[in-house]
Amino acid sequence: MKIKDAEIITLMQDPRTQDKGVRALMDAYQSRLYWHIRRIIVDGDLAQDTLQDTFIKAYQNFHQFKNDSQLYTWLYRIATNEALQQVNKMKKMQKTDEDPEYYMQNLVADNTEGDAEEIQILLQKAIQSLPEKQKLVFMMRYYDDLPYEEISKIVDMSVGTLKTNYHYAKQKIEEHIKENYEK
Amino acid sequence: MKEFDIEKLERKNIYKVPDHLFENIQDRVMHDVKPAKKAPIFKLNWAYAAAASLALIFGATFVFNSEDTPATDVGNSKGIYAENKNEPKTESEIAYETLKSDVISVDSNKNSDNQETKTESYVQQSGEKMKAAPVKAVSKKEEKQVNEYLDSFSNSEISELASNSTQDVYLDLYN
Repeated sequence: MKIKDAEIITLMQDPRTQDKGVRALMDAYQSRLYWHIRRIIVDGDLAQDTLQDTFIKAYQNFHQFKNDSQLYTWLYRIATNEALQQVNKMKKMQKTDEDPEYYMQNLVADNTEGDAEEIQILLQKAIQSLPEKQKLVFMMRYYDDLPYEEISKIVDMSVGTLKTNYHYAKQKIEEHIKENYEK
Repeated sequence: MKEFDIEKLERKNIYKVPDHLFENIQDRVMHDVKPAKKAPIFKLNWAYAAAASLALIFGATFVFNSEDTPATDVGNSKGIYAENKNEPKTESEIAYETLKSDVISVDSNKNSDNQETKTESYVQQSGEKMKAAPVKAVSKKEEKQVNEYLDSFSNSEISELASNSTQDVYLDLYN
């Protein structure tokens, strides 16, 4: 992966090969970034738009990328910011009397595959019931298996805080599933 | 459910995904990115900007000044062209020239009278550098030629030419 990142960076830094670099970057990271965004936003169309915006921003601001951080860390940071902005827009647009947590859980139910397991749906609903920071930390650690050091660079939090947040998030999710499973 | 550990749960993506999702995203990104790349970004160089402005000013001044000279000769160009052609003049051309020379001679007579009186009064009144506009003086030789030419026509021919010339002037102006 590191060699591939180095190739992508070289292609992106040369204006003559930048198009090829964007293609290589999308091929390498589109799936991981899409699912990261999708778990935050839930809505499929909005997640698609957000991923597109993420790549465009990465292309336009590639001169700001410093080689002292990992390429995927930088991309995750852009994707997370774009996704959180999108969630804020969604919250502003929703009805004022509707509970945001309830709204997100309904969105989960509307967007899941027909053959999805109940426990998996419950897990997603439980994630949506978490506070924003806990949600981000949990998803990046649980699904993407990112090291705490890298998550720390993405969300600007200390490693200790991240560990605590992950612990609480996990606890809340397990309680939520225990309470709601087979009801 | 009494005991549950999410670490033991399989990591699954359970959301619906449209067909050709990533192909569409890549196409849209490349479409959005390419025009942005083609648009060149110019840094404003003040030296070039100043040079371009000066060139524009001098160029515009030259063009307007050069256009002024032929513009004053437009009325005469037709006559000059007719003289150089060495072709027999039509009746309408002859009548037009006749009327024109008459008008010029009458105007010049009036202007020469006025000019003398006016310049004298201006000099007396203010003593400033007031100059009357230059008026084209029709030479006596030219007048004589025109008079000889007119004498060669009978009264009926002149009236006929005059009526034709009125028509032609009208047509020249509005067609």
